[in-house]
Amino acid sequence: MDGENGENLKELLEKFFDTEQAASCIEDFQEAERILREHPAPEPDEMLIANIKAEIAMRLPARRAERFRRRVWELVGVAAAIAVLAIVSVRLSNGPGRQPGNGAYASLIPTAIWESTNIAADDADLALFTTEIEQIKDEVLTLESGRDAGDSDSSIAELEMELIQISSDFWKG
Amino acid sequence: MVQGDDLARIISGCKSGDAVCFSRVVDMYASRCYGYFYRLTGNKDTSDELLSELFVKLVEKIGSYKGGSFESWLFKIAANIFHDHLRSKQRRRKLLEVQQVEIESETTEPRKSDGELVDRLQAQLGRLDTETRELIMLRFYSQLSFKEMARMRSEPIGTTLAKMHRGLKKLRLLMEG
Repeated sequence: MDGENGENLKELLEKFFDTEQAASCIEDFQEAERILREHPAPEPDEMLIANIKAEIAMRLPARRAERFRRRVWELVGVAAAIAVLAIVSVRLSNGPGRQPGNGAYASLIPTAIWESTNIAADDADLALFTTEIEQIKDEVLTLESGRDAGDSDSSIAELEMELIQISSDFWKG
Repeated sequence: MVQGDDLARIISGCKSGDAVCFSRVVDMYASRCYGYFYRLTGNKDTSDELLSELFVKLVEKIGSYKGGSFESWLFKIAANIFHDHLRSKQRRRKLLEVQQVEIESETTEPRKSDGELVDRLQAQLGRLDTETRELIMLRFYSQLSFKEMARMRSEPIGTTLAKMHRGLKKLRLLMEG
């Protein structure tokens, strides 16, 4: 049991046993090996070997076909994944979610103004709103500085009403 | 014995599906694998079946061989086939509920099939437990080193050595007795 696999049994056994035990082990190993060699197992029949080879030859085309099928399925899978990625990418870059007037922009600017093509009218509306806002801002500053001699509480309430009205008009477009 | 580069070439041929290379592997290993199965089962018909199954498995699994000791890989498959055989025997026995037949009846009481004579070694091997018998036969027929055997069995090399020594000593006593 020593030699063919390049293993030094004595050296190996001496790592685990003392020299005397290792020597006894080697003797047991060699004796058992001699017994096994003296009682060889029967050899396989030639017919059996021929049958095995025939079986292998019969299975090889099936194995090749199976490998081919697996390869094709792998390629189909990869192609499908690429196609899905491409479709998703195209949808994300060109899809309706990216159209102006919808999605994220719609929540910031009134749809009617965003979608309108009448730039002059839109500009006039925006100019009107801006003027009103500037006017209210001035009135607030006047009130805060105490320059207004009137009833300040009712003035503030009036201003607030005006702001609400403007805001409502603005979002209606 | 084909070694090194030649074996690598043959295995590479097998991986490409070359029938001639598979034939060479059968020629190289059939005798040793048959001996392994025969000494474990003590039955020629069963050994025939297990050997055929081994080479069919070889065709199916050759793609998963990633280098290293081919003997170790091949005998690992052989050991698994033997274990499957033992398990299926156990299932059959449970299914049929025959009268207290020992699970290892094939090996503990080797039967004669086709008029074959059961040799003395086979009879004494039947008196060893399955694990010890497997260990001895693996070493003898696969020619694996103890390091490879220990790795294959997922146990420390000292354990493999100790089990082997105990088993061989017992076998020697049985054969001398």
